[in-house]
Amino acid sequence: MSTDPSSHTGQRTISIGTDRLVGTGGIRLLALACILVLTGSYVAVLYDITQVVGGSRSLFALVGLMLLAATVLARVIRPRTAGVLALSAAGIGFAYYLTSAGVELGVVLSSTDALLSDTVALATGLPLLRMVQAGIWTLGFAPAPVFLSWYLAVRGRYGLGVVPGGAALGFLVLTGDAGTIVTLTGILGAIGAIAFGDLERRGGSIGQADLLAVLFAVTIALSLSVTVVPGQPTGPTHLVQGGPGTLEATIDSAPQRSGISGQVDLSPEVRFTVESDRGTYWRTGVYDRFTGDEWVRTGQSQQYDGRLSNPPGTYDTVEQTVTAETRLGIMPVTPQPLSVDGDVTRDTAVSRHGQPRPEAPLEQGDSYTVESAIIDSSPAELRAAGTDYPDEITERYLQLPEDSSSEFADRTDEITAGTDNPYETATEIERHLRTSKDYSLKVSQPAGNVAEEFLLGMDEGYCVYFATTMTQMLREEGIPARYVTGYTTGQRIGEDEYVVRGLDAHSWVEVYVPDHGWVKFDPTPGGGRADVHTDRLQEARANGNDAADTEDSEDVPIDDGNGIDSPGSDPAGPGDPPSDPAPPNETEPGNGSTDDPGSNGTDNGTDPTDSGDPAVSGTSDTDETLSERLVTVVRETGAIGLVFLVALVAGAHRTGAATHLRQGIGRYWHGFRGDPDRDAERAFDRLEGLLARRYRPRRPSESARAYVTSLPETDADDADALDPRVWHVLECYERATYGDGVSRAEADEVIAIVDDLARNQLPIIGRLR
Amino acid sequence: MTDANPTPERSTDSPADGALRISTVERLCEEIETNVSNVIVGHDEVIEHVITAVLGRGHVLLDDVPGVGKTMLARSIATSVDCTFSRVQFTPDLLPSDVTGVNVFNQKTREFEFQSGPVFGNIVLGDEINRAPPKTQAALLEAMEEEQVTTDGTTRDLPTPFTVIATQNAVEPNRTYDLPFAEVDRFMKKLHLGYPSPDEEAELLGRTVGDHPIDSLEAVTDRETLVAARETVSTVQVAAPVRTYAARLAAYTREHAHIGVSPRGTISLLRAAQARAVTNGRDYAIPDDVQTEAPVVLSHRIKTDGRDRDGTAVVEDALERVPVE
Repeated sequence: MSTDPSSHTGQRTISIGTDRLVGTGGIRLLALACILVLTGSYVAVLYDITQVVGGSRSLFALVGLMLLAATVLARVIRPRTAGVLALSAAGIGFAYYLTSAGVELGVVLSSTDALLSDTVALATGLPLLRMVQAGIWTLGFAPAPVFLSWYLAVRGRYGLGVVPGGAALGFLVLTGDAGTIVTLTGILGAIGAIAFGDLERRGGSIGQADLLAVLFAVTIALSLSVTVVPGQPTGPTHLVQGGPGTLEATIDSAPQRSGISGQVDLSPEVRFTVESDRGTYWRTGVYDRFTGDEWVRTGQSQQYDGRLSNPPGTYDTVEQTVTAETRLGIMPVTPQPLSVDGDVTRDTAVSRHGQPRPEAPLEQGDSYTVESAIIDSSPAELRAAGTDYPDEITERYLQLPEDSSSEFADRTDEITAGTDNPYETATEIERHLRTSKDYSLKVSQPAGNVAEEFLLGMDEGYCVYFATTMTQMLREEGIPARYVTGYTTGQRIGEDEYVVRGLDAHSWVEVYVPDHGWVKFDPTPGGGRADVHTDRLQEARANGNDAADTEDSEDVPIDDGNGIDSPGSDPAGPGDPPSDPAPPNETEPGNGSTDDPGSNGTDNGTDPTDSGDPAVSGTSDTDETLSERLVTVVRETGAIGLVFLVALVAGAHRTGAATHLRQGIGRYWHGFRGDPDRDAERAFDRLEGLLARRYRPRRPSESARAYVTSLPETDADDADALDPRVWHVLECYERATYGDGVSRAEADEVIAIVDDLARNQLPIIGRLR
Repeated sequence: MTDANPTPERSTDSPADGALRISTVERLCEEIETNVSNVIVGHDEVIEHVITAVLGRGHVLLDDVPGVGKTMLARSIATSVDCTFSRVQFTPDLLPSDVTGVNVFNQKTREFEFQSGPVFGNIVLGDEINRAPPKTQAALLEAMEEEQVTTDGTTRDLPTPFTVIATQNAVEPNRTYDLPFAEVDRFMKKLHLGYPSPDEEAELLGRTVGDHPIDSLEAVTDRETLVAARETVSTVQVAAPVRTYAARLAAYTREHAHIGVSPRGTISLLRAAQARAVTNGRDYAIPDDVQTEAPVVLSHRIKTDGRDRDGTAVVEDALERVPVE
């Protein structure tokens, strides 16, 4: 027996209709679907990671297997057994991860504090992508929550089933890998699972889900207005050189990441000076993992212990002393550093790639001395080096995003078709990029894989694009390569002294050569870059920007032969042999000298208003941006509007506003006619509405006849009298409901009566009649 | 209420075999009621209830103090419909055979002959039924349920119509055998006459000073017509909403009392409602019919554990709370 009290009246019939549509089975399906949504949310985060590091298929296979196993085992094993199974699955997964990460199991057990600190590091915002074996980690992470939550859901324990899934999602939120949308989806799934599970358990109907819809809408609206999900780790000690939108900031967006953005600016301010026998590129960061739109440095840094590993082959050493001219969050060194001396070494961390970095920013005037190894091998030696790469090198430096397209591989193959060895391949790629693309800071960031977009679709870009693309092309060819950031040589102001400014920020490529070590390649066209940089410095000087020069450098013309930042101007040519063969390097000084000579930029002085920002957004792409923005706005507004509409409808359903409205309209308009019996019933319902407004509503336990009888009789006061035709309507209603029905003519007559009565009650028309 | 709306003359043109038209039965009921009220002053509702019980093939239990006209009511109804009337005064020494009849040895034919007991009548008045021991009570109640009597292995059908109107003495409870709950359930209705109002009693006294009106009471119909009328009542339509409503009322009493209404009670309720529909000139029952009959049909089937709440209160609650379909 249904508990619905008055399924006979019009408005209740509808709710019963939807109940039939979505029965208890339907609610169960909805609850299970919500659990799947929750599972999907964190699996999607893991998938994003495997997209970068590989293993998507294994992940999907594993998740599918776990769902299948949970479905089958749900009817077989008890929850306790399932819990033990999930725990052991998680244990095996992480043991596997640790062994493949090169950590002995015994070590793990003996150094639980290290394990604990790793977990804390992850939970306080260390992105998963920074883990060395992120792919295997995801495989270890996924099975337990997927299995357990689905197992519990199939057994009908939705509330409990949300716990493992929610914990998994929560962990990914803490690591900062789960974005707002994914987190929101997961949370909505969790709420839905609990709510629908409860509805099923209490035998509720889908009609009661309106409250849930309101809850969803509130959740979405709140999360749109207040976002507390940490999207990016924000270390307070981290100092980004240069303001937002500058090339430096882009290259150096965070200690562990190097983003790729669109249009950037150049800062002319002096960062540091170097005293060195040789002018080289000053390296500040090394990155190994490419996600498609940014570079990530994997692995944890360690405290500098007095010595860095040295390259495998023969090398020269060079000593340089670096003095910070501003607050500096980086530690520029000549690659490859062997040791660092100075006060700052106490607070120096060294990444897994051998790059030192200050743990606290260097203050102006801080200085340190670095001894570096300069690989001094001839091209012939490098050509003959072969491809016998150590395992740890191939493991780390051959990563490509999983979704790399075959066009990219084909194009790379095409470019490197005529080469016999890795060194030649690298040289060819470098040459190709230098000659086929132009240098420009005014680019808009492409969607998708930056390396692919740049190689296949773009004509110009800056060093980040060139270096990223070259690294990926090399990896495509099976040559270990890494993306490095830093500064170019800078302005030479004395025999062995260099001034390095923000605009010297650069990124380039290091290629691993067996028995020699990391060799530098710079695929960025030198000429265009030098032009842009010189212009920028001259403007800054013209505007009297004091920070653009040191005391020594301001009197030195920028084109005095030690032209800014050109690697080719390196007086110690042999120190940079790999890039030497490429002719553009050599042309750079020439390019520099074609610029307005002997000037401090006075005659190049431009309008002060725009001089500070040569890279203001070009008007060319304003329209595009506007329309794009418009589309985005419309889409977002639409989505938010939809959310509120759902909330409104559900709220109306909850409060019965819709029913009232329908009744209100229904009182005056009969609607479409159908079966005479239903019409007679509907007519009486309308009459009841009219009478309720005039006298009192009918109580549920009151029969129709008892109700009408209780109303004032016809012989009462005229104004309050009950129309005698009401009896006829009641009669027909009773016959239609309880008897053997009414004829069409009778039904029409009754409708006409009620129509007439309703019109009499209309405030205006009723008075006119 | 009946006067306020015209009676439809539809679907009564071709009554089933042996059945009468609804309007005929309606008129018949009015005639019986008018006739009986010549004898019984006041108590119009009780008279109507007894008539609908007779039409709905039920039996009636009158629970009252002595001397309020229980016997007179039963007799006047029996007379009005021209049926045989018999009366059994239940006493503590009454035997079952005193009710059902007994095989007597006939000296002439030298055979046993069945001397039928008072139960073989169309309308049987069982007076003070709770004075007889349970065994004797059971004999009557069995006859009520089966509409047949078995003595010495021979089963004999009781006449049609067969209606028992039993009275129960509400005073002197220590000298009575309370009817078992299961047996009370066999009565369709339990009614109370109660004392007449002073005006009614004055009129009653005026009528009975001379000849008692029961002596001059004449039949308004005959037995065959009554049987046909009962046939008509059984054809009255009870739509699904009404059935559901009755079932919910019963369910309510089961939830809110120690022992609620049995399915037999629900069946009785609908039969009474059918008869009630006919007396109102309808060939279909409406919730109002159920509501009218529910207090007298359901109350005595409910056993409450509380002292302050009886079956009547539970039924009142049910009518107040259960929504009408």
